[in-house]
Amino acid sequence: MTPGISREDGQLKIRIMKGMELTVRETLGLVAGLVILFNLPTITTLAGDLPIRQRPIYRGIVFGLAAVGLNLLLRHSELVSFGHAAFFGTGAYTVAVLVSDYQVKSATVLLVAAIVAATLMAALIGYFTLPHTGLYFALITLAFGQLLFSIVKGQRALGGTDGISVRTGEAGVTILEQFPTLFGIQLTGQEVPNTILLWFTLVVVIISMLVMYRIVKSPFGRALDAIGQERTRARFLGLPVKRYVWAAFIISGIYGGIGGGLFALYFRSVAPGETLQVFVSGDILYMAILGGFGTLTGPLIGGIVLETLANIANEVVFTGPAGETQMGRFITGAVLLLIVFVFPKGIVGSLKPGGRVFEGAKTLKNDPTVAGPWFRQFGQVTVEAAKRSVKNVRYLLFGVK
Amino acid sequence: MVTSSIALLEANSVLLQSGIIEGLQNLLQPDTFIVQTINGIRFGFILFLIAAGLTVILGILDVLNLAHGELYALGAYVAASVGGFLVGEGTAAIMAPPSSFDPVTSFAFVGVLILAALISALILVPIGVVMETVFIRPIYERDQVYQLVLTFALLLIIANMIEFIWGSNPQKLDLSTKTAVNDIPTFELLGLSGVPSIVTLIMVVSLVVGVGLFYFFSKTKTGRIIRATAIDREMATALGVSPDRTFTLVFALGAFLAGFGGAMELVRTAANPGMGESALVLSFVVIVVGGLGSLRGAVVGALVIGVLQNWMTVVEPSLESAAPFAVMVIVLLVKPEGLFGTWGERT
Repeated sequence: MTPGISREDGQLKIRIMKGMELTVRETLGLVAGLVILFNLPTITTLAGDLPIRQRPIYRGIVFGLAAVGLNLLLRHSELVSFGHAAFFGTGAYTVAVLVSDYQVKSATVLLVAAIVAATLMAALIGYFTLPHTGLYFALITLAFGQLLFSIVKGQRALGGTDGISVRTGEAGVTILEQFPTLFGIQLTGQEVPNTILLWFTLVVVIISMLVMYRIVKSPFGRALDAIGQERTRARFLGLPVKRYVWAAFIISGIYGGIGGGLFALYFRSVAPGETLQVFVSGDILYMAILGGFGTLTGPLIGGIVLETLANIANEVVFTGPAGETQMGRFITGAVLLLIVFVFPKGIVGSLKPGGRVFEGAKTLKNDPTVAGPWFRQFGQVTVEAAKRSVKNVRYLLFGVK
Repeated sequence: MVTSSIALLEANSVLLQSGIIEGLQNLLQPDTFIVQTINGIRFGFILFLIAAGLTVILGILDVLNLAHGELYALGAYVAASVGGFLVGEGTAAIMAPPSSFDPVTSFAFVGVLILAALISALILVPIGVVMETVFIRPIYERDQVYQLVLTFALLLIIANMIEFIWGSNPQKLDLSTKTAVNDIPTFELLGLSGVPSIVTLIMVVSLVVGVGLFYFFSKTKTGRIIRATAIDREMATALGVSPDRTFTLVFALGAFLAGFGGAMELVRTAANPGMGESALVLSFVVIVVGGLGSLRGAVVGALVIGVLQNWMTVVEPSLESAAPFAVMVIVLLVKPEGLFGTWGERT
């Protein structure tokens, strides 16, 4: 099966590789996304004062990669992990420690080490957490993540709350020469090495996405689907449930480790609050939901959108009783509420056929007058919710009669 | 270079070990031991107030409320404002802190403080009701991941609103309030000088609330209805219990308890932006250690975690925040369902 164009059920499909066929719309989206990401340095320069910056988008890409891993668990085995920062942090700290304590400078070696460390960490945490499901699983993964966070925070060898910077600290060379190298290029954080690192990262991301696509479409992926839908039945069908879920957990941890390793290479400093804290785990989960956890690319897009949004939202400043306050968290929270109540399928899921935005746009194109009832409906729902809460407060305070 | 850093690591671990032994010797000094244990019990009681609400909400609504820690923080901030109104020299003030110990005025002053804490916790009740009826109710039937997103969104919003209203500086009551309470002799009567009376106050009041909670769930009709709903929601509905109202009540109760815990803690220390998050994570540990949805488990778990963490401040401060999670891992290995089973059948 070579790449080519085929026609299936009257729909034009573009075959990229064996078993991977996309519709025209999907292909165009993919190409556009890649063109934008590879030309990011040019775009940010052209954007000037517009709030498009390379740093938050890079953050979005690496955290989004962790979210892609998390999505394997979330979408297929229906397990909600709330401690994925543990693997991200493991990857990031592995790179940082190897550079600063053992003078390893090759980025590819560092990345492989990050993958190995994340694999071990995921195997360990998965062993303890996987006997549980549902909310209990979320709770326990969260506690494990926090255990790692508090251990790292308390270790002076790991820099405590300040973290460590990713450079060798050798004597006799300038600071810029102490940073890791990628194919012989010093990653100093200046424009050119950053662009090369960005391209390298994008290649890693593309390979990771292709691998994830194959995993999802493989018999193993199908088995995970079966396990997610009904564990007991899957076991009766003869699937090794425990082993498969453990494998999925480790794979998802590896994606977190790669993300963390790339994070450390780009930002050249690693602190527990940025990589290991419970809010980081929360962010990774919300990237998956925001982008659409029923889709493959959704988490990655969710990551880029969430980080850009947080970056813009933090520039919104309200003056309250206590002086000026950044409203970043409030705005992020409001967007998440919107996702939960209005677009539960996320960005990518809503744009797909059957999604809310897609169907809505189609209806609106056919009959633009529906916009009026939509607004009215929205108003009614809001008023009803307000009335209900007032009624409940009254019941609670004064009883039913 | 590699060998030297390994040697450094070894030296470090030896140092750590000797530090732990020395720390243990410090802890086993009778005075230190008693003071640290009492402080731990105080923290355990506060943790219980937070974890009790969280565990009951989890047991009945089947919702893991990530915003619960922020309710605790909100309680503390509200108490800082309410306390500032009721105590001191202002126009709305009931009484000023007495400058020296006098049985009548001192105890009346403590009464005013408790009143302020109660009012602060009551302010959280409508907030809890709105959270449940407007936001959480529409998603009971949906995928569990959405309730995590939703409560996390509420966490972000509440945390940002707290910063918006009170700013990022810690909020606390006047120092004179603390001194006025500490002037009342309590543990000093037993010949122990290291425990301020404020700790006694927090312990006594939390104990009363805790006992009241057990009484509520085992003896009153509403409490029994809540337990019945926890055991079998369908059967309870068939018997004429309105699950909607029970859910709202349970959530409001949880908000009240968390707020009260925050308000009591404020008397001793300051309300600060990070307090909700650490309380939330610690109460997760309490729930896992005690058993999901078990009120009795929450008591035991909270006391174990509270006391252990305070001991660790003396033994090895760098492991202080890791100790609770280590306990949790051990409990998970030995008894994965927690120390006590599910709640409902017994309180």
